[in-house]
Amino acid sequence: MQIKYTLPILAVAGFLFAAYTVVNSNKPIPVAAAVAPPSSAPFKSFIAGAGIVEPKSRNISIGTPLPGIVKTLVVKVGDKVKAGAPLFYLDDRDTRAELAVKLADLAKAKADVGIEKASLVDTKTLSNLAEAITDRRAISSEELLKRRNALLISTAKLDSAKALVQQAEAALADTQTTLARLVIEAPIDGEVLQVNIRPGEFAQAGALTTPLLVLGNMDQLHVRVDIDENDAWRFAKNSMAVAFLRGNRNFKADLTLAYVEPFVVPKKSLTGDSTERVDTRVLQALYSFERNQLPVYVGQQMDVFIEAKDSSDNGGAPL
Amino acid sequence: MDSSSFAVRCRNVIKVYDTGSQKVTALNGINLEIALGELMMLVGPSGCGKTTLISIIAGILDQDDGYCEVFGEDLLNMSIQRKLNFRARNIGFVFQAFNLLPALNAAENVSIPLIINGMKRAEAERKAATLLEQVGLGARVTALPSELSGGQQQRVAIARALVHSPRLIVCDEPTSSLDHETGHRVMALLKDVALHKDRALVIVTHDARIFDFADRIAKMDDGCIVEVKGATNRNLSFHQPTRSKR
Amino acid sequence: MNTLVRCQFSLHDKLKLSLAIRELKTMNHIAIKMLMGDKGKYLGIVMGLTFASLIMTQQPAIFLGLMSRSYSFISDVGLPDIWVMDAKVQFIDDIKPLQDTELYRVRGISGVKWAMPMYKGLLKARLVDGTFQTCNVVGLDDATLIGGPPVMLEGKLADLRRSDGIIVDIDGATDKLGKPSPIPGGKTIPLKVGDSLELNDHRAIIVGIAKVTRTFQSQPVIYTTYSRAKSYAPKERKLLSFVLVKAKPGQDLTELTRRIRAATGLAAYTQKEFMSLTYEYFMHNTGIPINFGISVLLGFIVGAAIAGQTFYNSTLENLRQFGVLKAMGTSNWILLRMILLQAVLVGTIGYGLGVGLTAIFGYSMRHSILAFKFTWELLLFSGTGVSLICIFAALISIIKVIRLEPAIVFKG
Repeated sequence: MQIKYTLPILAVAGFLFAAYTVVNSNKPIPVAAAVAPPSSAPFKSFIAGAGIVEPKSRNISIGTPLPGIVKTLVVKVGDKVKAGAPLFYLDDRDTRAELAVKLADLAKAKADVGIEKASLVDTKTLSNLAEAITDRRAISSEELLKRRNALLISTAKLDSAKALVQQAEAALADTQTTLARLVIEAPIDGEVLQVNIRPGEFAQAGALTTPLLVLGNMDQLHVRVDIDENDAWRFAKNSMAVAFLRGNRNFKADLTLAYVEPFVVPKKSLTGDSTERVDTRVLQALYSFERNQLPVYVGQQMDVFIEAKDSSDNGGAPL
Repeated sequence: MDSSSFAVRCRNVIKVYDTGSQKVTALNGINLEIALGELMMLVGPSGCGKTTLISIIAGILDQDDGYCEVFGEDLLNMSIQRKLNFRARNIGFVFQAFNLLPALNAAENVSIPLIINGMKRAEAERKAATLLEQVGLGARVTALPSELSGGQQQRVAIARALVHSPRLIVCDEPTSSLDHETGHRVMALLKDVALHKDRALVIVTHDARIFDFADRIAKMDDGCIVEVKGATNRNLSFHQPTRSKR
Repeated sequence: MNTLVRCQFSLHDKLKLSLAIRELKTMNHIAIKMLMGDKGKYLGIVMGLTFASLIMTQQPAIFLGLMSRSYSFISDVGLPDIWVMDAKVQFIDDIKPLQDTELYRVRGISGVKWAMPMYKGLLKARLVDGTFQTCNVVGLDDATLIGGPPVMLEGKLADLRRSDGIIVDIDGATDKLGKPSPIPGGKTIPLKVGDSLELNDHRAIIVGIAKVTRTFQSQPVIYTTYSRAKSYAPKERKLLSFVLVKAKPGQDLTELTRRIRAATGLAAYTQKEFMSLTYEYFMHNTGIPINFGISVLLGFIVGAAIAGQTFYNSTLENLRQFGVLKAMGTSNWILLRMILLQAVLVGTIGYGLGVGLTAIFGYSMRHSILAFKFTWELLLFSGTGVSLICIFAALISIIKVIRLEPAIVFKG
């Protein structure tokens, strides 16, 4: 008799448990929320691009005309410098030694001029004496000729000694110029953004991957926006643009176009890795913005949206 | 005698079983009349056609030829549904192997004919219990067939055959699986409870010990009735109920 | 007397219908009793159907579980609506990287609320003991960290911003990436926050432990930022695996995917489409569906055989009883209904027990590596299967009973 009820009750229980399992085990998986709300374009149709903040002057990688050991560094990161202010000094000991030699050379040359001048006076006196003798028999014509020639030679020697002085002066000036080139000066008014050289280090001349110093004018910042060449045709110079700070979309700034780089360049990865990863080319547009609108630093990335005409009508051609 | 006084009238009933390879004539021109209030026994060797005959009489088998009417109804030409209803109402069955439903208790088994006739279960079981009491099984109403002895089972079967007051009761070897004394008691019960003036009993048997209970005995052989013993007068065959010894 | 009998009959005929209905109701009781009377057979039938129903839910549930793992990564990254990838990508692990600029092109399509990069790739992690383990490294957008793990057990997603930070999934941390036990053969020591790994010769510090849905390959999953993932990844020209896109509110997704496809030439799928793409790939390119199809079919056949056979046998053994009922005047129609009732009863019970057992199985395995996904479709599926078995079993029994000559009741 029990079996009459046991099995149906078990069956009902089984079915209910199955139904419970079905309902329970198929609950949707929780969705991980975004840590920071992603920025989205305020325009209906737009071009999106990554922007990198840079000073208006662009970043000046300071180089040195001469290679050498850095003697002293007179600026540090963040220093504001005037144009012409020294930035760092290279080791100048050998140039200074050379300068001393050149100075001595000059003194010698000047002394030589005195000797020549004295010798000229001597030959002139002798020549004048001979010329003053009116009796031709009192002096042989040979003697007279000799004295005249000696005067001519002395005059020429004095000229030569003077030329040597000029030469020594020029050599001195050259060394002084070299000395001046060992002092690296700021080319513009600006701010020291990066210092990659310390006293005692060897500063290489030429274009370097890591600049010795980076200088920039921070009074006005630009954001350089990479626009994919595929999207470049949609770009219009007078369209609106907005930049969002990464990590917090509440920080945004309206952009004004400064200029467009006329030359389309290969895109560099903006992740900081020097290896170029991408073989596409980008149109770079530079926008200026009010610096006080954003707590932004040079070199920071921003999400930029530029309004564009609706492309859905004529549909961008597939690759 | 008018037809209404007969429970069963058979005229020249023929039944041939076609087993494919050969044809076996089970009934070869049976002529039999069973009067109301009569207890008719069909005897004969096995294979003589007794079972076929009562199957036709009970309406569960159709004859191939001849005419058979039960209570004036020609079963052969009846619609299936009518025939079912006829059987449900008028025929009671008692079987050699009792054929009780093993899963049902005594009262439920007995109530089946009533249920088939459309009675509600509770009422049918109440009536069945009353009848079981009459056949002396008042204490075993809820017993399963497996818990009952052979004689008790056959009494349940008899109660089942009687419960819906059928007018014809067919019994197939009702005593053959019972011992002598039990068989006697069952027969006594049958005659006592089942038989009265509006009802006929047909009993197929070859148990000679119970021949005494018959009003008439029809002896069959090879599909024919070879001899009918006993009086044909139904008045003579009307029995006063006798007490069964238990 | 004859007229009286005739009268009774006609009256009876008129009551036939109502009687038949009442008869049916009470005969049901007899049918149930007949069914449950033989406990052995009854149990046999129920067990057969339970088995069939169990196999027909448990096996497909494992199958579905396994298949759902193929796209579990996509469903875990719940935030984006659309996935943009190379046009030739066939499924989630089929990474064909894009150029970084594609991200901005996708961003520039109208209707896009935002678009974020995602790196996904297999990288070798070197463990403390020097062994190597291939890991699924996922790089999330540096600023927003969109696409992160669904559940953080330790640490916060934002901790990824710490230098060299990575987040490891709990299964990987405890098992495949675990530190070897000091006792030889002992259990591995799970990785904790603050432990370090070596990813492609780069240092990586664990800043969080996450819970993710298991993937098909069951490799440890490591989350980090996109740029860090790029530095971990071997140098390649293209590293952007996916662009995750969120549509603007009210934007029709199909329309947007069409627009992205047209504008960029890339493939764009909604989350659902990408899931089904991955699912279809596994369906068509692995033997898994066939294997499970066969075991489900076997379950069906065996269940049908056991249950059908037992049911039919029990009908055969009850044939005499049906004969008695038939002789007593029960119509074929009612007998048919009785058998159907029996079949429905055992079917329902077997079904209930079977799905219950499956549910218990799934419940007890919920923390194990076993894939298991029990859906309401499976309930329907096995229900249909069990119904078919019952109908089949009932049908052959019914044919037998309808053909039954009531005259057999007189046969010894």
